[in-house]
Amino acid sequence: MWMATLRVPYNARRFAWGGFALLLLALFLFPSQSQGLLQYLEGPIGQVVRIPLEAIASLDQGVSGLWQSYVALQGVQEENERLRQDMEWLRGQNNQLREAASATERLASLLQFKEQALPTLVAAQVIGRDATSWYRSVILNKGESDGIKPDMGVITPAGVVGRVVKTNSATSIVLLVTDPNNAIAGLIQRTRDEGIVEGTHQGLARLKYIPLLSSVREGDRVVTSGLVGGFPRGLALGTISRIDKEEGALFQSAELTPEVDVSRLEEVLVIQAPYGASAQSEGKSESVAKPKP
Amino acid sequence: MKFLLYAGLILLLVPLHTTVLPYVSLWGIKPDVGLVTSAVIGLMAGEVDGLIMGLAIGWVLNMYSAGDLWLSLVTKGGAGLSAGLLGRHVAQVTPMVLSVGVLALSLAGGLVAVFTMKSGTVSDAWWMVQSIVLPQSCFDAVAGAGLFWLVNQRMVIDRLRALDRF
Repeated sequence: MWMATLRVPYNARRFAWGGFALLLLALFLFPSQSQGLLQYLEGPIGQVVRIPLEAIASLDQGVSGLWQSYVALQGVQEENERLRQDMEWLRGQNNQLREAASATERLASLLQFKEQALPTLVAAQVIGRDATSWYRSVILNKGESDGIKPDMGVITPAGVVGRVVKTNSATSIVLLVTDPNNAIAGLIQRTRDEGIVEGTHQGLARLKYIPLLSSVREGDRVVTSGLVGGFPRGLALGTISRIDKEEGALFQSAELTPEVDVSRLEEVLVIQAPYGASAQSEGKSESVAKPKP
Repeated sequence: MKFLLYAGLILLLVPLHTTVLPYVSLWGIKPDVGLVTSAVIGLMAGEVDGLIMGLAIGWVLNMYSAGDLWLSLVTKGGAGLSAGLLGRHVAQVTPMVLSVGVLALSLAGGLVAVFTMKSGTVSDAWWMVQSIVLPQSCFDAVAGAGLFWLVNQRMVIDRLRALDRF
């Protein structure tokens, strides 16, 4: 048994209450200033925290790599991993080709066709998951010092992973496509109807605001529309698994199975410039066509 | 010396939360060790230490979360402060008492989070309470009892008390 502490004098108690109240007041009355001050301090703190974080993440990856490579199905596992990566790459390529074919059909009649530049990508490693249970997000080992900024899109060769929501000097946080707080402009590949893709509480995604007259059906693929946010047009978001049409509603919505398995992310690509604009010319980033296996 | 111990604790909490705890999560819920640690420190070292450590833990953990900073500061800092103040009214702290206290603090923090979050409908909010807040609180209570048992080992308590002298 142990007795609770009674050492702190009454003044300290008043100081604690006063300090807490003052902090809350500052956060609510001057949110940008107080958060700006804290963000200024985040740089050096982030560099210090990065050391144990990356050490444990690499230990974690080493242990899981050891397990997967030697304990669980020695040679088969390795081959399976390589084939899966190839399959993801091919799936992404197939999706891009479909999109390109569809776009070519529509644009063939146009004389002034402007060629779309390739996006500028930066490869990053996933070193952790959200520190709380409230959000579905992952932590990347690259941050502001690598040119990553909030609102940049994050993908794998298979499709969209999510969006960068927070950065510090050494790391960045990516809100996954399955998080209910995320919203990405989507497009049904076959019907060309646009909508907004949001995450669901069940860990899937939902395409909202589909026009009532749309001929959408199960199995249709949804891709990014490229209208808003850090994604170019045509990146795979998911496949429609169920359509919800409520009586009296102005729009219909559809449940999506995300193209990327977000529970097994290891390496991702951050889109610095969706249409290869600025970053390439500045030479600040490395362009990555395909991640190394 | 105490500062170094607290700084080391914060440094350990980040990889613990982001890399290790996802492996012990149940239905996507993992214990909020940051909140539990703030509460235990508040109980052991008083409300000032609890508040300061709660705020520091809340701030650093928020750097690795998509959540709002103020919510993290309020829940962790509030837990440390409340634990310190409530601890004054408890003659003997047992794992059961600590579990109940952490359960209440985690429940309060979770409810604050639900009411301030963007949740579409009442059913969404209720879903969050059922699926996140309640299991999270239970998980935190168990983690609190475990952490208290660990800290309550005679050697550890004596060392922590000795640190106060420096």
